[in-house]
Amino acid sequence: MKVLCEREKLREGLTVATSVIPMKSTRPAVENVYLVATDDALELVGTDLDVAVRFRIEDVKVEEPGTALIPARVAADFVRDLAGDTVTLRTKGDNLLIESGDDCCELTTIDPDEYPVVARFEESDSVRVMAATLTRLVSRTSFAAAREAGRYAMHGILTQTEGDELKMIATDGRRLAMASAALEDADAGSKSAIVPTKGMQLFCRVMDDPTELVAVHFGESQFCLKTTKAEVFARLIDGEFPRYSAVIPPSTENRLEADATTLTQKLKLVANVTSSDTRAVRLSMEKGALTIFGRSASTGEATAHMPVDFDGKPGTIAFNPDYLIDGLKNCESDTVRLEFNEKTSPGKFTLGENYVYIVMPITIDA
Amino acid sequence: MRIPAGGVTLGGPVSNQPPTILHVDMDAFYASVEMRDDPSLRGLPVCVGGEADKRGVIAAASYEARRFGVHSAMPTAQARRLCPDLVLLPANFDKYTGVSREIMSIFHRYTPIVEPLSLDEAFLDASGTERLFGDAIAVGQRIKDDIKRELALVASIGVAPSKFLAKLASDLDKPDGFRVIQEDEIRTVLDPLPVSKIFGVGPRTAKRLESLGVLTVADLASRSRADVLREFGASGAWIHDLAHGIDTRRVSPNRVEKSHGMERTFAEDIGDPEELRLLLYEFCEEVSFELRNRGLRGRTVTLKARYANFKTVTRSKTVDIPINGGKRIYGVARELLAKIPEAPLRLLGVQVSNLSDVRAPIQTGLFNLPDPMRPDAPDSRTTEALDKLRRRFGRGTVVPASLLRRRSPKREREGEDEAK
Repeated sequence: MKVLCEREKLREGLTVATSVIPMKSTRPAVENVYLVATDDALELVGTDLDVAVRFRIEDVKVEEPGTALIPARVAADFVRDLAGDTVTLRTKGDNLLIESGDDCCELTTIDPDEYPVVARFEESDSVRVMAATLTRLVSRTSFAAAREAGRYAMHGILTQTEGDELKMIATDGRRLAMASAALEDADAGSKSAIVPTKGMQLFCRVMDDPTELVAVHFGESQFCLKTTKAEVFARLIDGEFPRYSAVIPPSTENRLEADATTLTQKLKLVANVTSSDTRAVRLSMEKGALTIFGRSASTGEATAHMPVDFDGKPGTIAFNPDYLIDGLKNCESDTVRLEFNEKTSPGKFTLGENYVYIVMPITIDA
Repeated sequence: MRIPAGGVTLGGPVSNQPPTILHVDMDAFYASVEMRDDPSLRGLPVCVGGEADKRGVIAAASYEARRFGVHSAMPTAQARRLCPDLVLLPANFDKYTGVSREIMSIFHRYTPIVEPLSLDEAFLDASGTERLFGDAIAVGQRIKDDIKRELALVASIGVAPSKFLAKLASDLDKPDGFRVIQEDEIRTVLDPLPVSKIFGVGPRTAKRLESLGVLTVADLASRSRADVLREFGASGAWIHDLAHGIDTRRVSPNRVEKSHGMERTFAEDIGDPEELRLLLYEFCEEVSFELRNRGLRGRTVTLKARYANFKTVTRSKTVDIPINGGKRIYGVARELLAKIPEAPLRLLGVQVSNLSDVRAPIQTGLFNLPDPMRPDAPDSRTTEALDKLRRRFGRGTVVPASLLRRRSPKREREGEDEAK
C-alpha cells in the first residue's frame, strides 16, 4: 500500500485507535493497529476484542490500496512527534515506512491474517440521535455503573429505546442513575442492550461535534455507533440487568428541595471528617431546615446547616456522601429534589428533567 | 488528654517519671487452671495439649514439666520423650476463657485502660490511679494479690515506663514474679541482656547482629542509629529505639483485631471431601461465634489447606457485605474449598478478615441482595438466642444438625472421645 495523508488527521485517528488497543494482550496481534487503504480512504482499526473502532480518514491520496498491521503505540508516538504537515505510509517488503519531510521510520509489520475480524456498521434498522444527547445520557449515568469485580451485568449501561425516547440506566447495586431524552426518529421501536461502560465512553470520545446526527444500531451481540469519522462497536454484556423499575419509589411521603450548589458544598464540608470505613452523613430535616452531620470514631464530627423546603415528617436518613456528590456533579437544575419514604428505603433524587438518581441509604446501628 | 505512655522526651535527658505501665502474665496458665481444679495433679509435670499420636503439641506446661525441658509449642511426642511421666490433659478452652474473663475483670477494677494480648496476658496503663489506689506499683501488687486470693492462680507482673520494658520486667522475674523497672535503672537492666530479648529481634536478626559483633543490648545501643538503619532498614529504627528503652506505644484498650480464624492439624490426613466440608463447617461456626462475641463481622474469608507433602495453599474471597454468620462464612469457605486441588489434607483452616464493628454503618443494597445484617432478619434473632445458650452452657451446647453426628466441639475439647 501507499497513502499520502495529513499528519494531523492521522494523529487524531491513531489517538482514537490506541485508546482502545491494549498494551498487552493474550493475542499479540491486537496490540497493533490495522491500516486499510481503499481507493478513497484510509481506515485505522483498533480493538481489544470487547470494543472495536474503525476510524476513517478521507481526503487522502491512495496511490496503491492495501493493508498493514503495525505496532500501535510506536506508530502513534512517532506520528505525534513529526513536524511535517503530510505523511506518507508505504509498505516496503515486510516493513511499513512512515515518511514526512526528511524524517522516516520503518516499522516491522505482522501478518494481517492474524487480526480478528471487525464488523461493519449496519445501516438497516439503525436509530438516529443527536451526538450531544447520547454524550449527555452517558455522562448522566455512567458514574453509577459498577466497577468492582462481580455483578457482571452491572458493568454496563442498560440502553433502551421506546418510541421516540432513548433511555440509559446504570447501577452498582447501591445507587442507580436513570436518564432519558428524545431521539431524532419518531418511532425507533422497543430495543434494549447492556453496553459496557468502557465502550460507551469510547463512543463519547469519537463524537467531537455535538450537533452531528449519529446512528446507533442494536445488534445481536454488539452495540454500534456511526459518526462521519468513525464506526465503534461494543460487545454487549450478556446478562440480566437488575429489575430497576421496582426500586424507583412511585410515591413518597417526604420531599426536600435544596439549592444544589449549597448542598454539594455542605456535603463536602461534613464528609471531610468521615473516614473511609464509615463513609456516612446523616441528613436531619424539618420544616425549612436541613442539618448534615458526620462523624468518625478516629477523627471527630462535623455539622452543617442550610435552609431548604421540606414537606413531610421531620426525620433523618443517612447516605454515603460520595454517592450524593457524584450525582450532584451532574445536577442540571439549580435545585435538587430528594424524596423518600423511610430512612431504610431508597432516596430518589431528581437532578434534572427526565433524570433521576436513586441512592440506597446507610443504616446506622444495624 | 493523657500523656503518652512512657513519658519519653525527645533527645533530652530521661525524665524521672514513675513507671505507669503494667504487664500481667499468668504463669503456665492452662496448666495452672487444671492443677487448681484437680488437687491430685499438684506437684506433677502437667501439660495441656494434643496427644502425641495425633501430632499434638504442648499448649502449656507446668513449671514441674518445664524442669524436664518441656515447653509450649513443643510436639507432645518430644515432650513425652523428655518426661515419660508427663500428665497430658486436653485443652478446655471454655474453662480458660471463663477464667480469663475473671482475670480481666480484676484488671478493670483498677484501670479502664487494659489491652489484652491473649487469654492470660495483658498490658495495663495505671496512670491517674494514684488517688484511688496508689501508684502503678501499688496497683500491680493489688492485682497480683487479688488474682491469688480470688482465683488461686499466680501472675507475674512487670511495672515499667513503657510496654516493652514492662513485658521484659514480667519475664525477668518469672514465675511468681513482681519486677519494677524505674526510669533510672533502664540501662542497668537492659545492657547485659542478649539482643534476642528485644521485641522484634528474632533468630535471624539476632544472627545478623551477632555477625556484626552485636551480642548484648548494650552493644546495640552503642551503635549509631544511622548504622543500624542502614543494616536493617525501617525495623532497624525500631530495635535501636528499644535498645535505648524508647517505646512510645500506648496501651490501647480497643486494639483493633485484624482477623479471626481457626485451623487444625488432623491426627490423620483427611481426603474425604464430605468429611472436610463438615470440618470446615464446624470451624466456620466456631469462628463466627467468636466474631459475634467480639461484636465484629468481616468481608474476607480465607481458606488454608496443607497437603500431606506440607505444600500449603490459601484462597480468599471478599464479599460485598460484612458477614459473621456461620452459614454465610461457610458458604464462602466451601466455595474456596471446592477450588483447591482435591487430595488428602493434613491441615485445614478458615480465617475471616477485613473486620468491622457490627455497629458500623452499612450501605444497604437496591436489589434484595443478601442483607443478613438487618436486625429483623429471621436468622439473627435465632442466632442471638443460640449464642446466649453457648455463652452460658458452653459452645457445644447447640450445633447445626449436620454436625450432630460428629462429636460436638465441646466433647472433643474435653477429650471424651478423641477417636473417630
